[in-house]
Amino acid sequence: MNPRHAWHPYALLLPTAIFLGVFFLLPLAIAAKDSLYAWDLLTPPVWVGLDNYRALFRSGELVGTLARTLGYSAVVVLLSGALGLLLAVTLDRPGKVFAFVRGAVFSAYVVSWVAVALLWMLILDPDGILSAALRAIGLPGRAWLADPATALWALAGVSVWKITGYAMVIFLAGLQDIPRSLYEAAALDGAGPLRRFRHVTWPLLRPTVAFVTTTSLILSFQAFDVVRVMTQGGPVRSTTIFVYAIYEHIFMNLRVGRASALCIVFFFLLLALTAIQLRVMRGAAPREHARSRAR
Amino acid sequence: MTLPRPRPTPADLAQPRPISAVRPARRAPSTSRRDALRALAAGIATALAATGTGCARRAADGRRVGSLWFAYGGKNREVLLGLVDRFHAAQSRYRIEPTYQGEYFECLAKLRTAIAARSAPALTHVVGEVVPYLAEAGVLEPLSRILPGGAEDLDIVPALGQQGTFLHGADRPLVCLPFNRSTPIAYYNRTLFQQMGLAPPTTWDALRTTAQALLVRRGADTVRWGFGCPVDWWFWAALVGQAGGNVVEPNGEVTLGGEAGVRALRFWQTLVHEDRTMKPPPGRDYNAWQAVNTDFLAGKVALIWTSTAFLRYLEDNAAKGSGAFEVGAAPLPRGVRASVPTGGTLFVMPRGAAPDAQEAAAAFLRWMMEPEQANHWATQTGYLPVSRGGLDLLERQGFYAAHPNDRVAVDQLAVAAAWPWSPALFRVQREAVQPRLEEAVLVPRDAEAALDEARRAAREP
Repeated sequence: MNPRHAWHPYALLLPTAIFLGVFFLLPLAIAAKDSLYAWDLLTPPVWVGLDNYRALFRSGELVGTLARTLGYSAVVVLLSGALGLLLAVTLDRPGKVFAFVRGAVFSAYVVSWVAVALLWMLILDPDGILSAALRAIGLPGRAWLADPATALWALAGVSVWKITGYAMVIFLAGLQDIPRSLYEAAALDGAGPLRRFRHVTWPLLRPTVAFVTTTSLILSFQAFDVVRVMTQGGPVRSTTIFVYAIYEHIFMNLRVGRASALCIVFFFLLLALTAIQLRVMRGAAPREHARSRAR
Repeated sequence: MTLPRPRPTPADLAQPRPISAVRPARRAPSTSRRDALRALAAGIATALAATGTGCARRAADGRRVGSLWFAYGGKNREVLLGLVDRFHAAQSRYRIEPTYQGEYFECLAKLRTAIAARSAPALTHVVGEVVPYLAEAGVLEPLSRILPGGAEDLDIVPALGQQGTFLHGADRPLVCLPFNRSTPIAYYNRTLFQQMGLAPPTTWDALRTTAQALLVRRGADTVRWGFGCPVDWWFWAALVGQAGGNVVEPNGEVTLGGEAGVRALRFWQTLVHEDRTMKPPPGRDYNAWQAVNTDFLAGKVALIWTSTAFLRYLEDNAAKGSGAFEVGAAPLPRGVRASVPTGGTLFVMPRGAAPDAQEAAAAFLRWMMEPEQANHWATQTGYLPVSRGGLDLLERQGFYAAHPNDRVAVDQLAVAAAWPWSPALFRVQREAVQPRLEEAVLVPRDAEAALDEARRAAREP
């Protein structure tokens, strides 16, 4: 269908463009400008050029925050994806019991982050359930959240527990799109469960994997509530990941400029990661491309 | 002649009206929609008027309303709200609307944003280190101009008010009045100490041996720790003073105590890593403070350092339950000398509130400075009485003889070390020092290197 006037498509795009412009591009432009100033919200801003970026690099804060965020995200994305896939494959069968277990696993995803964080603070306390269980089998308990060596991984574990249900549901939807006839044909050819997974399930599930990875990555990069409630970025900055670092700079250290500089770096980092993800996603569906080209 | 119809006020529009009144016979749907939109707009306007702290408004009973943002939970919140109720009962001209805004740092974050957005409350309270920063930014009202009758006759305990605090600040106008002022003190499980024949330690060495005696281990686990203290700038400042140094020199130079600062930090490192008698608390900021209190009440730590602010809270809660015990309070031990910093918050009136709201807030502030209210607040919470007349009254009434725990902080005022208030003090605390203290104690890291780095960070603009 051709538009009646050449400007019609643009007019239809306008509401979304205005929304994106006002709530995304404009704040980004303001952050880019603020990143070149030293400003504390109250006194007049002072032009400092690229000093905020230099200070972030020189103090090692940028590299440290980046390393912690990427480490946390890698654990969360890989573990929640792997567990979600395992659960989806295991629970993708009829029956009330399986339906109940699927519902139970997914329920963690709908609970608020703050409630989850408080629950896990009780579990991870040196006198909590986890340490008590370890003591019961002769191992020492630990202050998981008070030790700089374990705090970040403890938070990653909590996030994995929370979002695995989400990955599982998406994988279940992906599994249900795979025609049963393919499994039957593979079984007739003598393929066992492992070979069926490797040669049927996995190739057809790759677009779903790419989707789950992208969305989990975004979720993990946005982690804030869990840090705010459980560790407040500590001990010793060991859980100060990107969004929390931005929050701390702007609201605790009174440095709007440095927080804005972190926002801009964060934006380009996410842009790069999303570009990589998109390439992977496009590469994950070669057959559909081939089909569309054949048409 | 037809009289003009009176224009409906926003309040009228917000009122539900009979359907017949809002729906004329013709074009019913569009008029009804217009009325609904009007009502909605009026509702929003009314709501905005109600929440806008910068706007003048009156309570339903005609009183002038002033907002108060506060940062207490628990017992202290109850006492403050009780005082606000008393203020309302004591006069009929003003109403104070108190709003809880989270702990100190959260409240401060909201205050800064509200000031920038020109919707600041008429009255709030901030930690001492923040006052010079806010004063330098020019966002605080001079109180001597705003308080009814001026501020000259306020009889404030000298160590707790603004006097002598600002760096080079002899001629500074008065911008703050003390509210909940405190010093760090030691709390100990008196029941346990009596059973074990121990006395609260009075020197650093005695603290080490007492903590060792109190320690109970079962295999690799510690059942009871000898000592607990938030790894926080305030307690480190106490240690620096006790080691003979100043965090900030009288001329404003941030030395972080030099050698004394290193000795202070090494003392903590010794307790945590060498003696393994001090429990490093989880969490940061006031979460760590709360964790120390909880451990003490649960009997997991026998001796702690925390603010005198928690005196009533700890006494009341330790007396409950199956593991009930008696709480004792003691001054902090000496290093080469006795020294404590003062802490807590001071009342400030941010610029930008409506004159009526400021009038109400100023009336409340003056009322709070009177001996009766200042003493009620102090005796119900554990904070220091800020009125000199009030303090004398408590002595005469025998309050301190009956409550020796309350006396500890008051006596410690004799060795209170003031730090000069420079505008950078808050940033030095939050950004330069606090994270490095945690690093040095918890990782652990060399104390001297950590403080050298903190000094460099403190010089950064």
